[in-house]
Amino acid sequence: MWKKPEDNKPQPFPDPAGPGAPSGHPTGTVPGIPATATACVSQGIKIKGEVHGREDLFVDGILQGKISITEGTVTVGPNGHVNAEIEAREIIVRGEVTGTLKARERVQIWSSGRAIGDVQTRRIAIEDGAVLRGKVEILQQKDELRATRPVNPPAAKAPVATVPASVKE
Amino acid sequence: MGFFNKTRSSGDRPSPLIPRATTRSGAAASPVAQASAAHNRRSGSDVRSSNGLKEFLWNLEGLNNGCLLDLGPVWQSTITFFVERGFKLYADDVLRDWKEFLTVEEQRLRAIQPGQDASEMTPESRAERFLKTNVQYPRNNFDAMLIWDLLDYLDRPLVKRLVEHLTDLLRPGGVVLAMFHNRKPETFHRYRIFDAQNLELVPAPPLFTIQQTLQNREIQDLFRPFRTTKSFVGRDQLREVLFVK
Repeated sequence: MWKKPEDNKPQPFPDPAGPGAPSGHPTGTVPGIPATATACVSQGIKIKGEVHGREDLFVDGILQGKISITEGTVTVGPNGHVNAEIEAREIIVRGEVTGTLKARERVQIWSSGRAIGDVQTRRIAIEDGAVLRGKVEILQQKDELRATRPVNPPAAKAPVATVPASVKE
Repeated sequence: MGFFNKTRSSGDRPSPLIPRATTRSGAAASPVAQASAAHNRRSGSDVRSSNGLKEFLWNLEGLNNGCLLDLGPVWQSTITFFVERGFKLYADDVLRDWKEFLTVEEQRLRAIQPGQDASEMTPESRAERFLKTNVQYPRNNFDAMLIWDLLDYLDRPLVKRLVEHLTDLLRPGGVVLAMFHNRKPETFHRYRIFDAQNLELVPAPPLFTIQQTLQNREIQDLFRPFRTTKSFVGRDQLREVLFVK
């Protein structure tokens, strides 16, 4: 399940943030899968629904819906087809993504990547040959504060039942 | 929106969009020229001075949080250049989309049996269909557009419809930079910003052969709703034209 074809091997990617910056490049012992990725949607798996979490996620299959990985990295692998709004700390696109990309820190689109949708992030890295169709909006520190802090804190409300994440195969 | 009413030439005036150290042009041994030459040697691409780009940037001077539509492929350097200057950048590689659209159209055409209605397959209706699903943005959404040399590679019916469509998307006073080949180019290039005065021509596998070389009169007719035009012809016979709506 974890074995990937040869073309999934990590490829060099220009890192505009410099050598000291944190990198989400696939550097794991298993080719193509980030070392830190604890959750993986492998090739051949199809998920429809919402995925929430804090750990890194690697998607090399098909995913439709919404992905929210607040503290981690979402990597769409070279065989991945994602039709979803993605929210994460960092988003790496090596396959196909249709939907809004919101990354608190950085979005990377590799040469094999194809992103159709708007991008909101603090930093963006795009390799030559990558395809992006949509708006690129770079968030400043003040934008993030505005986005995370409500101007008028809402009054205490009774707890509202939330819809649990639905994951279908 | 006072900046839109400028009709003067930018000349050598320093611009906030252009770093002070690189505003002087023409010096063959300037650091920028040296950097360009070194870059050419390294990458195999070509860096050319662009008066059109200088004029384009000068027209955008003072605009904060502007929206720019880049109709070429997405490049890191172009995104960084405009994002650092506070723009929201929209990327939409029309030539690539047109190529993909034509591939699908070709399959549709092949599927049509003899005797079936093929009236939808005229170049005009094809152009209409393409614009129904591509380059879809709200009216008056953009302050600036980079069309590059796209119009030379598209079918004439699409060129006409696309320019009309782009005119709707541009705000009054918005600026367009377009390029036209005076003669058939030897190599297919994509363009990206090198710095505030130079463009980088990146050789690429040809998506299309050039469809037409538009004459001055034809260009003016296409961009009739635009009130100001400036034109610069380079040694490479590439005409850069700036339009202000």
